[in-house]
Amino acid sequence: MLEASAGFIAWLGASLVVVADGRRGLALGVATSALGMAGIAWQAAGPAAALALAAGGALAAAGRLRSGAPGWRIAPPGSTPRIVLCIGAALVASWVGLVVTSGGGAGLRFAAVVALVLAPARILWSDDPDVQLSAVAVLALGAGAASAMGPSTAQPWSYVAAGLVAAAAGWLPVRPEVRDAA
Amino acid sequence: MPPESVEVLVFAAVALVLTAVFAEPASPRRGLVVKGGVGLAGSAAIVTVPTFDIALLVLLMVGFLQAVIGGVRPFEVRLRPVVLAVALTAAGLVFARATGPEVLARFGAVGLGAGLAAMIGLLPYIHVFEGDEPVAPSPFAWLAFLGPVVATVFVARTQQELTADAWAAFGAILIGLGFLNLVWGSLATWLATSTAAAWRYSFIADWGLALCAFGLTVIDGRRAALLVLFSVTLCRLPLYLLWRHAAGERPVKDRPVNLVVAAALAGSAPFAGFAARLLLLRAATQVFWPLALVLALGMLLWLPGSLRLGRGVALPRGRQVAAVVVVLAVNAAAGLYPLPLLSAARL
Repeated sequence: MLEASAGFIAWLGASLVVVADGRRGLALGVATSALGMAGIAWQAAGPAAALALAAGGALAAAGRLRSGAPGWRIAPPGSTPRIVLCIGAALVASWVGLVVTSGGGAGLRFAAVVALVLAPARILWSDDPDVQLSAVAVLALGAGAASAMGPSTAQPWSYVAAGLVAAAAGWLPVRPEVRDAA
Repeated sequence: MPPESVEVLVFAAVALVLTAVFAEPASPRRGLVVKGGVGLAGSAAIVTVPTFDIALLVLLMVGFLQAVIGGVRPFEVRLRPVVLAVALTAAGLVFARATGPEVLARFGAVGLGAGLAAMIGLLPYIHVFEGDEPVAPSPFAWLAFLGPVVATVFVARTQQELTADAWAAFGAILIGLGFLNLVWGSLATWLATSTAAAWRYSFIADWGLALCAFGLTVIDGRRAALLVLFSVTLCRLPLYLLWRHAAGERPVKDRPVNLVVAAALAGSAPFAGFAARLLLLRAATQVFWPLALVLALGMLLWLPGSLRLGRGVALPRGRQVAAVVVVLAVNAAAGLYPLPLLSAARL
């Protein structure tokens, strides 16, 4: 039950990043997604892994509040295709997690597929660096959580790496286009 | 740590040193060394980390840093390729590791193959290209500097992740992608209107050979892949940088140096590309001989493009003379006696 709830929260967060354009909406999406991924990681690899993902997501969300379009801007006019994408991704991820694949960890598979579909889709869709960096944070968290399916689930290093990449996506400055000779 | 990856990392380090030592005094050497050093450190981290997942996250970080440092293309355009590569590879890993029908592992192989092509910037995922972009934030960083190291790590780690059936499918995908890039890249090198674009396509053509070599999954294929990557990193990249530095000067007529450079770029004897092609043909003959025939025909397409690129290199002056001599000598030595390189990689 906890795993299913965590998977749902991860989807909700990733969907918020997809449908939001304002800095608050994006930060909320990243934080929610990190919470869900941390729940998944707790189940699969213990509290250290969950803490790494949660801390990385919290840092990324805090960094996102510094820049970007002001306000929430959740589901602004014209965002119907994005909402359809979120629902479609949830359906496909449920099918993959529950029907196509077998064994335990359906919530993990659901959350991984959702993050690996929605985050890149948002990055390909948007031209706004702040939106893209929020999606990078979600992608890093999703890839980190998905490492629980790998051979060395007991080691927290992949979760720490995911948390660091997510935090960096929230705080590193973006330079404009330059023309130098280097 | 796969020994090939360590060796290709050394190739990249040597290429960086060559570039720094032989760069003209007027060029911004410090920035080049700092950016190249960061890329090299990222590549070293990708080689040394214990799992594929962490390597993927380090790759995301390296791509993210490359997008952040600036460049001619907008940030979002610079960021997209690496994100797509990481997402495709991560999805491939999820499918490869999930318990389910056998076809899932093959989907995993598709994701891993597509992720590799997207990361390097090969067809059908070639990166947006601007001819006047600095090298560090440009697609050349992936094609010639980071890509060779990351590709060897990816292929070695993929072998550990996939079942035997899916590994065979992965090899077939690499051969298909490799042949597409080989033909397209060599034709575009010849026919592209801009010489900068022609150089980019020449790297893509070389990568076509490397992918075919990786896909053949026999020992001669791995040997050929190593020598192709050597040729990309320590022949084509330095000569491309030389062409960039002298882009304002154009040769009045063909000189012997232009023909020698063209021969090195085309993979003629005695340069390293020739040994790589021989090993590749031998590997293809072992696996499926008609493939060797097709590859041999494809290799002929290198000639017109290489002559074009060789002609574009102006008569070297000052430090450039030493750079050209060192690059050609190193490649001739590796072509004539590749055994030390292969032994160091335990091949």
